[in-house]
Amino acid sequence: MDHEAAQLEKQHVHDVYESTAPYFSDLQSKAWPRVRQFLQEQKPGSLIADIGCGTGKYLKVNSQVYTLGCDYCGPLVEIARSRGCEVMVCDNLQLPFRDQGLDAIISIGVIHHFSTKQRRIRAIKEMARVLVPGGQLMIYVWAMEQKNRHFEKQDVLVPWNRALCSRLFADSSQPGRKQPCVHPERSQPYHPPCSVCSCSVCFQEQCHSQRSHSLDYEPLMAGMCCADVSKGGEEENGFSNTLGRSFRSWFFSRSLDESTLRKQIERARPLKNTEGWAQSTISIQPSTHASLDAGPQEPFSTREQNLDEDVFVETSQKQLEWPRAPATMKHLCGDQQGEVRRNGDGNFLEGANTSENGMNAGDVDESPPSASRILRRISALDSTDSNPEETISVEDQQPNVLDSRAFMRYYHVFREGELYGLLKEHVAELHVLSSGNDHGNWCIIAEKKDNCD
Amino acid sequence: MKLLTHNLLSSHVRGVGPRGFPLRLQATEVRISPVEFNPDFVARMIPKVEWAALLEAADTLHLVEVPKGPIEGYEHDEKFLRQMHHVLLEVDVLEGTLQCPESGRLFPISRGIPNMLLSDEETET
Repeated sequence: MDHEAAQLEKQHVHDVYESTAPYFSDLQSKAWPRVRQFLQEQKPGSLIADIGCGTGKYLKVNSQVYTLGCDYCGPLVEIARSRGCEVMVCDNLQLPFRDQGLDAIISIGVIHHFSTKQRRIRAIKEMARVLVPGGQLMIYVWAMEQKNRHFEKQDVLVPWNRALCSRLFADSSQPGRKQPCVHPERSQPYHPPCSVCSCSVCFQEQCHSQRSHSLDYEPLMAGMCCADVSKGGEEENGFSNTLGRSFRSWFFSRSLDESTLRKQIERARPLKNTEGWAQSTISIQPSTHASLDAGPQEPFSTREQNLDEDVFVETSQKQLEWPRAPATMKHLCGDQQGEVRRNGDGNFLEGANTSENGMNAGDVDESPPSASRILRRISALDSTDSNPEETISVEDQQPNVLDSRAFMRYYHVFREGELYGLLKEHVAELHVLSSGNDHGNWCIIAEKKDNCD
Repeated sequence: MKLLTHNLLSSHVRGVGPRGFPLRLQATEVRISPVEFNPDFVARMIPKVEWAALLEAADTLHLVEVPKGPIEGYEHDEKFLRQMHHVLLEVDVLEGTLQCPESGRLFPISRGIPNMLLSDEETET
């Protein structure tokens, strides 16, 4: 199961960042103030690591400390390096540091990219391992609870906001890379998916990089990206047909606990080739207008935002918990529909959608009752709801612009208390000092306990 | 990659544990990059340095004037601090390798960036 989790992360985290890295060399979003503060409060002469440093925006916040940037994504690290930072490529799950060598670590917008609870715990434990006793760790993860949007599920794939790269496009071309798609005016026909994303977007001028984001390269405001669904799209139709129904990417609505995943895969096996057995929980929240997560209403440009992604509702008739699927579609600008799919090689997640958003990833690792409930649902869906034709036809009407080439990024969004619970129950070597919400992120500061063996 | 960074790095090849430190450094391209001298900063680094690893790396790079260890009153010894400043912060390995002393696994350094990723097979648990 860990292999499947790694595959998911490869496709929907690592490959996306790697492919989109070139578009962010000149788009440095602001450092989150609380993170800056944390770094500035570290003692002079501290050894600090930013695990998941991206292009390195936090690496030079404090000149009195030695800050190492680490990221899985080579191209992003190269960018940080070009800015004069000390960086390396490595894996959060296997940090290449000796034990107890670092005085502080920041992990900003990283843990939410791990697709199973076990991996999230491992990542945190690794960071704890390399901290000196008394050393502090700050973690930021995207919150499920957002003021202006509603995540249906905790495990989500978020499409790339092409408009983000469109500004950079004008001046840069990437030799050797796939041909970037032209920036379409709304009237242009839909082009084949570009190397960054496959949506054509209504680019609304106010959504610019002056807005800060919780992460370096988060897509811009939801309000700005509407899929310009051109009906022509043979590419998309052809694409969706070639996938075949058995290769849809299905996703659990709760986090992928290894044991649950294993059980479900084993028991769902007979249903493998049945269209109805699996559900996608691709996330996508309706594009609201300027969904701003911070408190007071302010114009875009002055607010720091969390990941204001555009996310499109995934609607499938098969999803019982979205009986209002067609109605939901109205929320989407551009009225975009369609399932997000992955191509065949990525199909490792089998099973069905859980019925409720109440499936809390913060729950126990595995709960046989839920697993069986899920499986009952599989059967139910299979027999009664299985109507792949419906889904296909929906897509035929409106081409699936969110195809697998659309660099969807995987996130496990955290519920309130979930991150805290994770540390409390599974990372005994850390003591939580403070926790809270910062602009739509759950944030925790923890300290490495003394005398940990 | 600076030598202060090297001083923190350890091999995480499966099964190696603490025997993965320090990584054996080989460099084919090294650059000296001036860094502003901050004596207080350097002084605070001294207690954190793993000296044997530092000396081994410095030796590989044929560096001279490398203190063999903290000296009495080092906090106020400018010459000592400047030497340490140079060794830890100004020597930049641009191209080379880091080798796990236990398994022999090589990690490349390219354009100043060490790549510490293991392959899927190596990380399987």
